[in-house]
Amino acid sequence: MKKIVISFLLILLAISICGTTLKVWAMGEEAKTLPVVTQEFEKENPGVKVEVQALPWSNAFEKLLTGVAGRQLPDVIQMGTTWMPSFSAMGAFQDLGKYIEKSEIISEDKFFPGSWSTCVYKGKVYGIPWYVDTRVLFYRTDLLAEVGYTEAPKNWDELYDAAKKLAERPDMYGLTFQTNEIQEFIPFVWQNGATVIDENNKLKVDEPNFKEALDYFARFFEEDIVPKAGSGNIFQDFASGFVPMFFTGPWMVSMIHEQTPQIDGKWAVALMPEKITRTSFMGGSNWVISKTSKNKELAWKFVEFMSTPEVQLQWYQLLKALPAVKEVWNYSELKDDPFTSVFGEQLKDARATPNIAEWEKIESIVEGVLEKRVLGKITTDEAIDEMTQKISKILK
Amino acid sequence: MRKKKIPFIEQLGVHIILFAAFLIMAIPFFWMVSTSFKNPDEIYIFPPRWVPHRPTFDNYIELFKTVDFGRPLLNTIIVAVTSTFLSVMLSAMAGYGFAKFRFRGKEKLFLLVLATLMVPGQMTLIPVYLILNSLNLLNTYAGLILPGVASAFGIFFMRQFITSIPDELIDAAKMDGAREFFIFLKIILPLSKPALATLTIFNFVGAWNSFLWPLIVATDEKMYTLPVAISVVQGQYGEKIALQMSGSFIVIIPIIIVFFFAQKYIIKGLSMSGMKF
Amino acid sequence: MKTRLSAILIFLGPALFIMTVFIIIPIALSLLISVTDFNVYAIFDWRNAKFIGFQNFINLFSDEIFWKALFNTFYALVVAMPLTIIFSLLFALLLNRGATYLKSFFRLSLYLPSITNTVAIAVVWAWLLNPRYGLLNWFLGLFGIAGQNWLSDPKWAMPSIIALVVWKAIGPNMLLFLAGLQNIPDFLYEAAELDGANRWKQFLHITVPSLRPQLLFVSVMLVIGYLQLFEEPYMLTKGGPLNSTMSIVLYLYRQGFYQFNFGYASAVAVVLFGIILALTAIQMRLRKYQE
Repeated sequence: MKKIVISFLLILLAISICGTTLKVWAMGEEAKTLPVVTQEFEKENPGVKVEVQALPWSNAFEKLLTGVAGRQLPDVIQMGTTWMPSFSAMGAFQDLGKYIEKSEIISEDKFFPGSWSTCVYKGKVYGIPWYVDTRVLFYRTDLLAEVGYTEAPKNWDELYDAAKKLAERPDMYGLTFQTNEIQEFIPFVWQNGATVIDENNKLKVDEPNFKEALDYFARFFEEDIVPKAGSGNIFQDFASGFVPMFFTGPWMVSMIHEQTPQIDGKWAVALMPEKITRTSFMGGSNWVISKTSKNKELAWKFVEFMSTPEVQLQWYQLLKALPAVKEVWNYSELKDDPFTSVFGEQLKDARATPNIAEWEKIESIVEGVLEKRVLGKITTDEAIDEMTQKISKILK
Repeated sequence: MRKKKIPFIEQLGVHIILFAAFLIMAIPFFWMVSTSFKNPDEIYIFPPRWVPHRPTFDNYIELFKTVDFGRPLLNTIIVAVTSTFLSVMLSAMAGYGFAKFRFRGKEKLFLLVLATLMVPGQMTLIPVYLILNSLNLLNTYAGLILPGVASAFGIFFMRQFITSIPDELIDAAKMDGAREFFIFLKIILPLSKPALATLTIFNFVGAWNSFLWPLIVATDEKMYTLPVAISVVQGQYGEKIALQMSGSFIVIIPIIIVFFFAQKYIIKGLSMSGMKF
Repeated sequence: MKTRLSAILIFLGPALFIMTVFIIIPIALSLLISVTDFNVYAIFDWRNAKFIGFQNFINLFSDEIFWKALFNTFYALVVAMPLTIIFSLLFALLLNRGATYLKSFFRLSLYLPSITNTVAIAVVWAWLLNPRYGLLNWFLGLFGIAGQNWLSDPKWAMPSIIALVVWKAIGPNMLLFLAGLQNIPDFLYEAAELDGANRWKQFLHITVPSLRPQLLFVSVMLVIGYLQLFEEPYMLTKGGPLNSTMSIVLYLYRQGFYQFNFGYASAVAVVLFGIILALTAIQMRLRKYQE
């Protein structure tokens, strides 16, 4: 009798360990490629199955929102850094503090500070970085050489000078910016040692360094160095020289190679221009564990797995996504690649926007005011006033 | 039947207008199909290439390798056919009721039905989701089909169409002892073929292309419909656009087939020959 | 003579029941939160939402972007509606003629915009309207007319959106009119012709009156649809430049889904609902008097 009971219990135990499914939500191409990597995880953890549900980037947000509202979330979710503040505020994520303490693989110093900051909300850690991206200068080496720049412009003055010279070519421009994209504007603010709000959530837009950054950015529009209508087709415009410089992220490297191979060898990437610093914008995706998950230990194991240098390197090899773990950047594959290495260097000085729930609203105000300023509808002082007035209401 | 000859100028003029309209309307469609056969370096070229110089099937090959078509296609067929049939039936029945029945409060009730069209879908996304969740209908065919099956658009359209069916026909049948069900089947439906065919097209297109709702309702990929399964191949920054176009083209083909098939019923009804004034 | 209750229940019952559960109740819920401060903290736990009376509506009143969106939306409605009706009717007539060739093919081509992938549409229209190498400016240049920055000039962005909207709407509305045209018996036209009426008179005195039900349908649906303009500005301009293409629903969407001000977004929806309901009731009432 005893034997039967024991074997029965053993079988139950076996069943409960076996056949655990870890549900993961990931987006787009990443989701489609994930199974290659999760196979390894399943091998290392027999009885575990990783089920990835792929969400399209275009509507992943609505899906996440309804999932939170209906408390129908998977165990692990890929979360874009710009979505972290809002979803953290909703309280849908698991506080990872105690897991990090016990972990041998994951700790704050393994990741870039800018990236880690997107995981911290109100002092607690809710995510672990998966891959990162940052923005750098893409430029036409041949066209810049024609105006006397054998290397990329290194600071604000050189950027302005080079762009202005390039814009002197008839019907051409030197650079392009969007009129209302904070990810393009705020790096200049940071480079000048200024910020929109500081760590204590105090508004800092009336500081002289902020004004200087705004003036610098707007000047490109005022002096017709950038097309006010923007670039209709950046591949076309970069290849034709209509827009010989612009700022964007790592995904464009392979896209430019693919779409316009005719300019191979005639373009390169470089770090952000320097004022006080060379800070750039930081993005990427983090892993979060939902509070309602019933497999949190297993989910954590998965996140640890994705953060090991081997898997991070493998992920880079698969999709050319920049690894979030710093030590992976020492591999020669990344260190010696002419494009990737620049991104690696930039990552050392890259920041993310503040991880507070109100940031979306603040961003919306800044972008609206920025557009009016660069299109010449208001002056810098009026812009500062409007931002101060509207953002103060949100912060109080 | 008409013995008058149509002037050549008129025929020419009409067909020129139609051809111009065709060009304007079809440009994005052409671009979509053409791009699906292009290599990446031909996509953003200027002037745009309508016919790729080096056409390739690579996109379609990659599409079939990356996307598992079987289950999503089955789901889409089940959802589209069922919801189209149910929706057209319910719209015809309710349209008949609102057109020909007599009862107090009919106009107000109809305004309530119309009112359901006056709130943007984005607002009801979360509430409908919560209701489906509480009825345990998430990730089921019922959850995919039911919310869209009662359509004020369809009811309104059928009501308008059925209003123009002469009351005399109906009264005559009633005098012969026919009840509403018989009238519906033998008089209303046959005379409404063009409307039914048109509504079928609209509903089928809507159901076949439906994207946001199936994404929200599905808690695992097995319940994805075809448009959702295909949309996932896209990267965050618009990479793989040719791949997406090839997927979209594949999704459109059944719609075009249904459209041509339904055209047969949108011809002038021999049905009207039953009227003797 | 009142219709039997059982008939009412059988024919109207199923549709109304499903409508109540899946549409009317959610609408009521979504409009109700307009009197709360439902925001990001309430999504996971709705008890975080507090009742705030009409505060959202008061804030709405002094919200300049809301009024701009309202203006933009009405601007679109007033221009797009007549254009849509005229073109859809015109093409329905052309594609109903006995003497027209390839009718099915042309009908399909007019319907294509409705079914083509929205990404393809956005890419092609952005290219068409591009100030430097777009087709439109090239075409205008042939006649010596200066091209504009169609999508980045606040003056021209909304007209461009309206053009896109009408372009998309012609196909489906043409089909709706076409269905109505099928109902008009041939002998009415033959009789009129024997009486010596030319085609324009036939159009005015036979076609238009016979199409009254469809005309009511199309105009009511266009008002309802255009006041909820969203897809096109979302695809092409995201409400810019300088909010010149911000429509009410786009504004509502940004408030709700970008900034999580769901209570506020709901207030916008309530106002919009009121406007559309009023306009629809007026249209329905007007028609009743005409009949």
